[in-house]
Amino acid sequence: MSEKPQVKSSPSFFNNPRNRSIIYQLLLLFGLGYFFYSIISNTLANMEARGIQSGYDFLFNTAGFDILMSLIPYDATNTYGRTFIVGLLNTVLVSIIGIILSTMVGFIMGVAHFSHNLLIRKLATAYVETFRNIPLLLQIFFWYFAVLAALPSARQSMSLGEVIFLNVRGLYFPGLTPEGGASVVYAAIAAAIIGIFVLKRWAKKRQDDTGQQFPVLWVSLGMLFGLPLLALIVMGFPFAWDIPYLKGFNFRGGITVIPELMALALALTVYTGAFIAEAVRAGIQAVPHGQTEAARSIGLKEGKIMKLIIVPQAMRVIVPLLNSEYQSLVKNSTLATAIGYPDLFTVFVGTTLNQTGQAIEIVFMTMAVYFVVNMTISFLMNRLNSSVALTER
Amino acid sequence: MKEFKPLPDQPAPNDTVGPIHWVKDNFFSSAANTIATLLILALLATVIPPLVDWLLISANWSGTTQDACTKDGACWVFVIAWSKQFFYGSYPTEELWRINLCVLMLIGVIASSQLLNKDWRNKFSIPAFLLLPFVCILILDGSWIGLEYVSTDYWGGFALNVLLAAASIIVAFPLSFVWALGRRSEMPFIKSVSILLIEFFRGVPVLALFFMGSVMLPLFFPEGTNVDKLVRVWIVLTLFMAGYMAEVFRGGFQAVPTGQYEAADSLGLSYWQKTLLIILPQVIKVSMPNILATFVMLFKNTTFLLIIGIFEVLSTTQTALTNSNWLGGHSTEGYLFVAIVFWICCYSMSRISASIERKLDTSHKN
Repeated sequence: MSEKPQVKSSPSFFNNPRNRSIIYQLLLLFGLGYFFYSIISNTLANMEARGIQSGYDFLFNTAGFDILMSLIPYDATNTYGRTFIVGLLNTVLVSIIGIILSTMVGFIMGVAHFSHNLLIRKLATAYVETFRNIPLLLQIFFWYFAVLAALPSARQSMSLGEVIFLNVRGLYFPGLTPEGGASVVYAAIAAAIIGIFVLKRWAKKRQDDTGQQFPVLWVSLGMLFGLPLLALIVMGFPFAWDIPYLKGFNFRGGITVIPELMALALALTVYTGAFIAEAVRAGIQAVPHGQTEAARSIGLKEGKIMKLIIVPQAMRVIVPLLNSEYQSLVKNSTLATAIGYPDLFTVFVGTTLNQTGQAIEIVFMTMAVYFVVNMTISFLMNRLNSSVALTER
Repeated sequence: MKEFKPLPDQPAPNDTVGPIHWVKDNFFSSAANTIATLLILALLATVIPPLVDWLLISANWSGTTQDACTKDGACWVFVIAWSKQFFYGSYPTEELWRINLCVLMLIGVIASSQLLNKDWRNKFSIPAFLLLPFVCILILDGSWIGLEYVSTDYWGGFALNVLLAAASIIVAFPLSFVWALGRRSEMPFIKSVSILLIEFFRGVPVLALFFMGSVMLPLFFPEGTNVDKLVRVWIVLTLFMAGYMAEVFRGGFQAVPTGQYEAADSLGLSYWQKTLLIILPQVIKVSMPNILATFVMLFKNTTFLLIIGIFEVLSTTQTALTNSNWLGGHSTEGYLFVAIVFWICCYSMSRISASIERKLDTSHKN
């Protein structure tokens, strides 16, 4: 061969990956810069044309509207800033209720998929396939307009032992009003919780050292109920019952759960529960059957196999899926606005935005809240995930 | 030499085969199971007969007004009377053939993808599927192709849900692919922009995005620009979908073995040749089930448009329920009907997803 392959010692300027990457990134930077510049200048021009003042001063103005339900004292003379807090707390409330209940429903239905009983298996499948495939908003409307609106009026309320009432206006619970000495009971509850944590660590250390197991669950339950009960008896029950009673056309006193909250929590629970059930099923199926057989062969009982062998391994698959389900539950709670439950979206993006016209500030604050809430969930679930993740040696 | 003659096979013991054993094994295997079976049977026996009675036996099927609902059961007259609105919204009656034509084309494309062989599927079905939403928009709008113009104010009903979902996913497809590539890129600025975009559209409630679309987008455009409401919704749905699909694609990229990238590099393929010819087909294969799951989510989420005043099917139902001629409390029938329609669509899509998963599974594990 006379010809020598022509190899350039260095590639041309545009074929150098370094130069290329700098050029691409500069192009993107300029593109984005122009995009944002035009958006911002357009927005400023539009806002000026419509006479909107930008800034967060509106938060200190008087709101002048009432909110259906508030966890903190609120009335129409409070500021827009306080409407933000009220809405935020209502969102957090419905999210926590939804997360706890949907986890319970989801785990029960997910485990039911592996029942020995054909009827239970079929029921679990029917539940998952039905509620997963129907839009959430439709389910919220169904509970709110079709089920809860069909409840009897206040005078014909359904009641449980004349202390809990359910009617078209909501669910009424008796409340507890603390009297002198109640703080001792609170202290007892706190002590019980701390005691349980200490006990759990001690029991784990003892099991790691000696292999002996300690009935943590029963002792914990005993502490959790026994200590406050003891405090109650010693202090002579320092609480007064606040039982709801019918006055005029409505109930007074006690704790009221408004139908909007009931409908939203129910729909979120049932919908997210179906997804969590699928996650639990996938997690359990991901554990090889050999694990169950090995556990049986060393003589563990069926309950212990589930608790000590299957569930810890299934959790590795379940926890990341739970993380995204919880996040979508929080995001879906914004649908409250369709039935008027006063969550952050209804109160702040709905009423406050309509009254003040501060679209950009309000939408920005709301998005930031959902971001922070979801980041918090993600952080907590990642902590949980790292504690259940496979530790390879 | 004595030949070995096996004894004839014995039948299985009586208590391990047959219907009686099956019943015993599945329903009465232990005391707890027996109790559960009896409880569930009792529950079903109390729930199902009245339900069937209400749904079918004493339901009202014929008539045109509320007065025709004389029996105790469900008033299906309500659903029948409003069915045109539920499916087509307030689209002009004499132009309904356009929507029907679009539905027929959709059915045709889906059927062709099942019937044609692989070669024709790639040449015809896939491009047709990608073009269909745009063709439908042209037909429905009418003014571009010489038909009578129908303003988007009249578009509505279930047809709108389907159209918006389909039009969004098709634009979101290339967009999300680019975002996912950007997220894997080694260029730091491109990577961080992609991550920001993806996490923003995934982390924010879709309702907040819709509000952004209807309250804030008009502020972003130069003064005097009037963007159609449905176009704004389309933009928002597309971006939302792209955020989720980018994460699906990221999972797909991770599932492609590194050897594939290295083999493509060693053949001397350029970046785009490698990405489009070697990686993309494998990515689509592994992420197909998740793409369909994301699409089902998007499809269900199109009902959220009710909140910003788009006349999709749920919003039409609400209008029908508050109509002064139909104030007899038909909400259960209305919601049930819409739920069944959605359920059929979403359930069949999840079945299709499962069958694609089986069909594309070229691994040798079975």
